[in-house]
Amino acid sequence: MPRTLVIGFGNIDRADDGVAYFVVNALRRRLGQGILHEDETGLEELGAQIDSIFLVQLAPELMDVMAVYDEIIFVDAHVYENVATLHCAPVFPEFTPATFTHHLTPEMLFALLKSLHHREPAGHIVSIRGYDFDFHRSLSADTEAVVEKAVDHILQLHGPSVMDPALD
Amino acid sequence: MEARKITIEPITRIEGHGRITIHLNEEGKVDQSFFHVDEFRGLEKFTEGRPYFEMTQITQRICGICPVSHHLAAAKACDGVARVDPPRPAKLLRELLHMGQYVQSHGMHFFHLAAPDLVLGFDADPAIRNVFGIIGANPELALKAVNLRRFGQQIIQRLGGKRVHPNFAVPGGVNAPLSPKDRDEILAEFDTMVGIAKVAVSIGKDWLGSNKELASVFASFPSNYMGLVDMEGGLQLYDGEIRVKDADGNFVAQFKTDHYLSYIAEHVESWSFLKYPYLRKLGWPDGTYRVGPLGRLNVADKIGTPLANEELKLFKQINGGKPVEGSLYYHYARLIELVYALERIAQLLDDPDIMSNDIRAYATHTQLPSQGVGVVEAPRGTLFHDYGTDENGQLTRVNLIVATGNNNWAMQTASGLVAKAFVDGTKLTEGMLNRVEAAIRCYDPCLSCATHAIGKMPLEVTLIGANGTVLDRISR
Repeated sequence: MPRTLVIGFGNIDRADDGVAYFVVNALRRRLGQGILHEDETGLEELGAQIDSIFLVQLAPELMDVMAVYDEIIFVDAHVYENVATLHCAPVFPEFTPATFTHHLTPEMLFALLKSLHHREPAGHIVSIRGYDFDFHRSLSADTEAVVEKAVDHILQLHGPSVMDPALD
Repeated sequence: MEARKITIEPITRIEGHGRITIHLNEEGKVDQSFFHVDEFRGLEKFTEGRPYFEMTQITQRICGICPVSHHLAAAKACDGVARVDPPRPAKLLRELLHMGQYVQSHGMHFFHLAAPDLVLGFDADPAIRNVFGIIGANPELALKAVNLRRFGQQIIQRLGGKRVHPNFAVPGGVNAPLSPKDRDEILAEFDTMVGIAKVAVSIGKDWLGSNKELASVFASFPSNYMGLVDMEGGLQLYDGEIRVKDADGNFVAQFKTDHYLSYIAEHVESWSFLKYPYLRKLGWPDGTYRVGPLGRLNVADKIGTPLANEELKLFKQINGGKPVEGSLYYHYARLIELVYALERIAQLLDDPDIMSNDIRAYATHTQLPSQGVGVVEAPRGTLFHDYGTDENGQLTRVNLIVATGNNNWAMQTASGLVAKAFVDGTKLTEGMLNRVEAAIRCYDPCLSCATHAIGKMPLEVTLIGANGTVLDRISR
């Protein structure tokens, strides 16, 4: 049975920038899993068919976690008017230049995984438009409205085999 | 007074990036160059009214790269507000957390950002001048580098419960002791990690040895230097006094961190959200200075661990005992500090006090209103947190001078020197962009507090003619 890892990332203190946290927890509710509290990443309780974690940023040591999965789905916020409110796209290994930042992109992580661990799982990015990036922990109404749709899409990506009580 | 609402567009809020504009004179030569930081954070204003003790958690959200530094500077400022001195074991544990961050941050910077420039050369195609070029050349080394970062992150996680935004330091100490299991597991990896750091030092030193001429002129300029030192002039990253030396290595000042406002002022330019700190006694712009690894090693007389101290002696020989000026030497200094951080971890873990349960002091009665200053050396430079509260302990004044801000003038100067050396005519070239990028990268700036998969953090350079028209624009 293929295993999927959902990696949400963002800053929950910056309103819609933390939308992935809400998506990860909505997914966990659908799957009957316990939700992540605001100070939890989910990294300590992996082992399900669909695992999900939430992080502030992508970092190279995530490779060790990703290496055992068949599919990786990244969840993130975006800010672009010309990109769909719920934007979904495949992720392939690709070098993306890091001019200054210590952060990694999903493509870069995949490229490192391929180069160093010779693993190339299926990859997807699910990005949700953010409108409010102020200093608080709630979502704008427009962003919140897309959270459950994002979960639907993640479950579709994984395939029909997953148990989703909401689909019964 | 009529209230005015100022709207900051989301893209400006979250997309930290570097923007450089280069202005030509009538002769078509570079007249001036500006390094802009467009990101607006506003955290100093947003936190007014919050209880002061929340700052250890709030301020580390400024950044996902150096949250530990903000966490610790905030804790030290809160110690000051509460007028409480943490017990020695708590100070040791805070420093251990700090060293974990140094290992992950310095290790990541060298292998991921600096080594491709050094190993593959500035003029290599950007498509190959990256970490994959390093992997192609030595995949085993790349895995070791990832392992080094993991080691640092795990120290943070063991102490703070999380790898990025730890919950550990509190006013008066820390909230949990170190377990014997965690101590032993960290120590078990010590030799391996020092071995990796030594390899990194060799790579950096060999490259600088082979490129002495370039390193001595590339983004090289005189300045003042700043960093924390102990009472014997030794390198300090968690605590100490602030020492400033001038370009010739003469003492400019040494002062207690609480007194920083008597020594440091901030200059404002209308075209950047990032201020320009400078030394009051020397004025603007003569009082500008550099912080971070180069600044710290230029002001320190010695390092309290053996391997790093031997490297410091070699570092001091580069400019005959005077401060080292070349920006590329930031990389070497950063690697020396990487070795120090690892050695310091072992020192801290060997100290019997670090296993003590005496980890928190409580104020007998907190006198409010109050104020407190917390200063640490973040990986990229000196970091100041300064809080004032009202009688309820709610913040009335917050002043943060971040490490990248302290190096703002230096990054502008470095990029300007590169522009003058490489811009000729009305076109910008990839070679010029490569070098500007490399110059700023020496300072390991942190310009962002949020990241996104869609949308990059570009470097954009714009060339503007004497009549104000945009002649060329190039970005990556």
